Amino acid sequence: MFKNRLTLKILSFLVFSDILETFTHFCFKKSALPESGLNITSLHEAAVFIQAILSSGFLWIGLVSVLATFIIWSAVLSKIDLSIAVPIASFSYILVPFVSIILLGERITFLRWVGIFFILAGVIMVSLTGEDTKAAAR
Amino acid sequence: MKMSLLYIILLIIATSACDTVSQLFLKNSINSLSFNINGIRKLLGFLLRLALVPRVWFALSFSTLSLFIWLFVLSKADLNLAFSLDSMHYIFIAFGSHVILKEKVGLKRWGGTLLIVIGIVLVSFTGRA
Repeated sequence: MFKNRLTLKILSFLVFSDILETFTHFCFKKSALPESGLNITSLHEAAVFIQAILSSGFLWIGLVSVLATFIIWSAVLSKIDLSIAVPIASFSYILVPFVSIILLGERITFLRWVGIFFILAGVIMVSLTGEDTKAAAR
Repeated sequence: MKMSLLYIILLIIATSACDTVSQLFLKNSINSLSFNINGIRKLLGFLLRLALVPRVWFALSFSTLSLFIWLFVLSKADLNLAFSLDSMHYIFIAFGSHVILKEKVGLKRWGGTLLIVIGIVLVSFTGRA
């Protein structure tokens, strides 16, 4: 039952795929941002919206990043449970605020620190259940 | 003009559900291969074999659908709301993994997942003043 083992190697791949996914979200937001004034109520307007984002370079960079994320993610899933991999991938919710502090000099409110703490505690707890299955397999 | 809140909530539930279905199909396909990846050549072989599993294409379709709905939501909704509601997909995933993939989601894993959801909601709503 080596399949359920969560090793440091898998963990680092997960974090890397997470960073890529954060980058993807950033690109997609950038591609959709200029169209925020658009009010989509009909099929025709939906087509206009799709046409507009397709012409954005950010969308295509985002799609390449999606492909890379997919490959890493599939490799990770071949090793561990889905119900472990997905919660650990929530790491980006911690990563983004830290990047914002370090690179953008943003200030983090107390409640936000509490939120970050909750996520971190949750990720650690879920990771430990990966260790459980490993111990049980021995 | 602002879209109705209910409409946005329904769209976010739809994108979360599509994403969950996509992940379940993907994991299920990968499980059916039982491949041990150790090295780049093995990885290529794995990807090739994976592409030949029909269910993977369902996974990709649902993923694309989820992406388009999400892109649309991002262009419309308040980000704080969008991200906190999207965190419900962690619960969908835990539930789906248990019921469909027969993974053993114990009390500890459920607890951790719920902590993450609470954390995401807190982080999402305290982002900006």
